[in-house]
Amino acid sequence: MNRHAPIPSLHPAGGATSDADRPVLSARSIVYSYGNTPALRGVSVQVGAGEIVAITGPSGSGKSTLMLCLAGVLQPDAGDVEFRGRLVSDASESERSALRRSDFGILFQFGQLVPELTAAENVALPLLLSGVKRKAAITAATTWLDRFGVADHAASRPTEMSGGQVQRAAAARAMVTEPSVLFADEPTGALDALAGEQVMSQIVRVARESATSVVIITHDATVAAYGDREVVVRDGMIDHARDGIGS
Amino acid sequence: MSSGTPRHSVLLRLALSGGRSDRLRIALTAVGSAATTLLLLTAASVVCISTGDGPYRLAVLDQPGLRPGVIIALLLLTAPLAIFMGLCTRVGAPARDRRLAMFRMAGATPAEVTRIAALETGLAALLGSLFGVAAFAVGRLLLDRTTMGTFMVIAADGSKRSDIGIVRLLPTDVDVPFPVIVAVAALVTIGATVASAVALRRVRISAFGMTRSVPTNPPTKTAALLFVVGSGGLVGLGVVSRSSASSLPVLVGLSFALFAMCVVGLLMGSASLSASVGRLVAPRVSRPDLLIAGRRMIDAPYTASRAAASVVLAVLVGGAVLGTRANFLASQDPSDTFYADTFDLLSIVLGAAIVLSAANLVITTSEAIVERRRTLAALVAGGTPRAVLARAAIMESLVPLVPSVALASAAGLLAARSFFGTTVERLASFDVDGGNEFATVDVPVPWTQLVVLGGGAIAISVLATTISLVFLRASTRPSEIRAAA
Repeated sequence: MNRHAPIPSLHPAGGATSDADRPVLSARSIVYSYGNTPALRGVSVQVGAGEIVAITGPSGSGKSTLMLCLAGVLQPDAGDVEFRGRLVSDASESERSALRRSDFGILFQFGQLVPELTAAENVALPLLLSGVKRKAAITAATTWLDRFGVADHAASRPTEMSGGQVQRAAAARAMVTEPSVLFADEPTGALDALAGEQVMSQIVRVARESATSVVIITHDATVAAYGDREVVVRDGMIDHARDGIGS
Repeated sequence: MSSGTPRHSVLLRLALSGGRSDRLRIALTAVGSAATTLLLLTAASVVCISTGDGPYRLAVLDQPGLRPGVIIALLLLTAPLAIFMGLCTRVGAPARDRRLAMFRMAGATPAEVTRIAALETGLAALLGSLFGVAAFAVGRLLLDRTTMGTFMVIAADGSKRSDIGIVRLLPTDVDVPFPVIVAVAALVTIGATVASAVALRRVRISAFGMTRSVPTNPPTKTAALLFVVGSGGLVGLGVVSRSSASSLPVLVGLSFALFAMCVVGLLMGSASLSASVGRLVAPRVSRPDLLIAGRRMIDAPYTASRAAASVVLAVLVGGAVLGTRANFLASQDPSDTFYADTFDLLSIVLGAAIVLSAANLVITTSEAIVERRRTLAALVAGGTPRAVLARAAIMESLVPLVPSVALASAAGLLAARSFFGTTVERLASFDVDGGNEFATVDVPVPWTQLVVLGGGAIAISVLATTISLVFLRASTRPSEIRAAA
């Protein structure tokens, strides 16, 4: 197990370290197993402010598990995850829930919008959970739907929208709280090439405008190319021979 | 390559080839079938009591005039069980639908796929029925106890006297004819199989999946009309039957028809009410739990009302029983506890019916959670507290239940008061020469019991819904996000 592997980062080694240079999110030597099956075997990774990191690797390599650990959905068996200097991996479930609601946005392969809610209500949901009043939440949601080019579908149900439109609405939901980090797990996995390209370019544009860091999980080289760098996960470990900064 | 009808053994193998949720559905169907068979055979035992049998310690079994009440109570208990078995067909439905769609993809016709599904239910019901028959036989042996006690003896001239001797607790000495046992087992098995096939009538099975057509706009006016005509008819019938001589079979037939109208109206009405409340609440609220519950009530108004069906039915009957009880007790000497004891026994049966009915809520709520596990898991991953989703599930179940329970208990009580009147004649003074004096006494409205009935039914339903929330944690694990839809 490589518990002390160097942390892949775009930030050059040495020199003065300013706040801007400090990673927003970092994981050190995280280990996670599903029962007796190890999924992560000592992974370390950093994400800088406003950085777009593509985590790639073959199916079953552990990249989605890594994302879930980084986002505080899963608690690693060993190792630490830090967000802005706060230890996420040791926080209680309710604290991690609150963190995901306020500082993280998560986008899954299938939009996972609530089918009974309208697109605007789906996007407004994280704001309502934070105590924002309905009118303000819906107004903000509509603005975010507009930023992703689907404001026309604000009153539509997910079942009345195309796959690409649903995914853009889901991206708006992930961004509506203006999170520090957006996690996107195979965001174009269920879309055709054109719709996937539209979704990715909009996510990247909005993230750049908002200075949001993005962690993209993908096995698609085209999607990985949207990242500032690529971190390759293989057999639950970082493949340093292929990560963005080379070996 | 041969074509034609697949062999029964192939269909049988396919019917039993499911996964964990399919095995759970089969097990629950078998349990429901066993319990139904056991209850029906117990009712048959009471029907088969003849003059040579007994005596029994319980007056409701010993006295022929009271046995129909026991039989009706036992049959009443089978109603929630029948609804339970109907709901069992929905357990693991998405997984089963996918499995059946795979059979279509592999070349099975829609009729063959329906037969596979019905065969699965039929076999489970048959297994359960056989187990029920075995449990009945074993129960007769184990519960065949005698003790010393008092019983009523009816002389040849019709006069009654009390006697002391050896009595049985239950009619375990009664032989239920073998053809009756076979008929009960067959009835339960065939009934479950037919119900399963009927449940698939709204499902269009294609190789690409199954489409369930669900009516989304419950008929408000029809529901209201059925309830008003049903309950109003019961009241009217009660008044008419007291003021003029009526044929008993006609009276009973009409009562059942109006009662059925009332029940159907209530059930349709609760779905309609659910949708209306949803439409009122969802576009206005800021609370996420209310928003999710409200939208669910608009989208799937029948989900909660289907589950509440047996609770509402039990409360309707309960209201009628309470009304009848108040009437009988008002006309009797308070020191005579015979009717009070008999109605207490009936209340226990009703309580059991409500508990059984609430078990149906567990199935419906947990099924609704498991069905939407991918969406719910994604919401939890995104930071939605599970408590918000739990509150939404409870609200979705209870909003249509509360007014339905209130209406059902009121309608049941009203029907009983119409049939038996709001005043009774009670013996005021006894004269051996026959000059007995009677006083007219008002029958009190059993408010306390009504509140206990309605509140108890709602409390048990809340408990049942809360129990089903144990599925929420398992269904919102991160691994569920990538689970098949």
